[in-house]
Amino acid sequence: MLFKSNFVLEIINNKIMKRALIALAVSLIVLVTTALWFFKVEKSITGPEVLTFGIIIVLVGFGLYFAYMRFTGAQRGEPPEDELSKRMLQKSAAWSYYISLYMWVFMIWLKDRVTLDTEQVLGAGILSMAVIFFLCWIVIRIRGIRNE
Amino acid sequence: MNNRIREFRARHDLTQDDLAKRVNVRRETIVFLEKNKYNPSLKLAHDIARVFGVAIEEIFLFDSE
Repeated sequence: MLFKSNFVLEIINNKIMKRALIALAVSLIVLVTTALWFFKVEKSITGPEVLTFGIIIVLVGFGLYFAYMRFTGAQRGEPPEDELSKRMLQKSAAWSYYISLYMWVFMIWLKDRVTLDTEQVLGAGILSMAVIFFLCWIVIRIRGIRNE
Repeated sequence: MNNRIREFRARHDLTQDDLAKRVNVRRETIVFLEKNKYNPSLKLAHDIARVFGVAIEEIFLFDSE
């Protein structure tokens, strides 16, 4: 019991563990909500819905991977963030912001041409923003950050 | 900018993990530095040079461009 309460206190006081737990909690909430939506739909599931579900699973997987990396890093005594990880996130955010602007322009253009509810367009847009950020982060990881 | 971190690390018998701990960054940052995929801040360059006991310009080689 004492061990358990110490473990809980350690998590609360540890910045790394807090962030890992937040990523884990958000990923699980998204996963559970998506699963509920997936299994409660009465009509047959269409191709775009399966695609949306697949994208969400990939993003949740990324969140869980991020939480796992934070957790194992903390166990090795690594700092939660350093200058490289901060710059990567900043650059991914900047890139994804610019790309998302064009994506929303495309969404506005698309809305007039296909029959989609406003909620569907917003949902697709938000999901696309997450995908764009994820892709930008991967590209920056592969390319590196040099000579800037 | 190129660097000789790997060479100095081998000379001082340090692992990437050891060096990362000494300069308080993640091991991944040392990996990126050694692959020349990241230009460090002046502070990190200074900290790395101090670990090896040499001047910054001995480790980090600036090209003319």
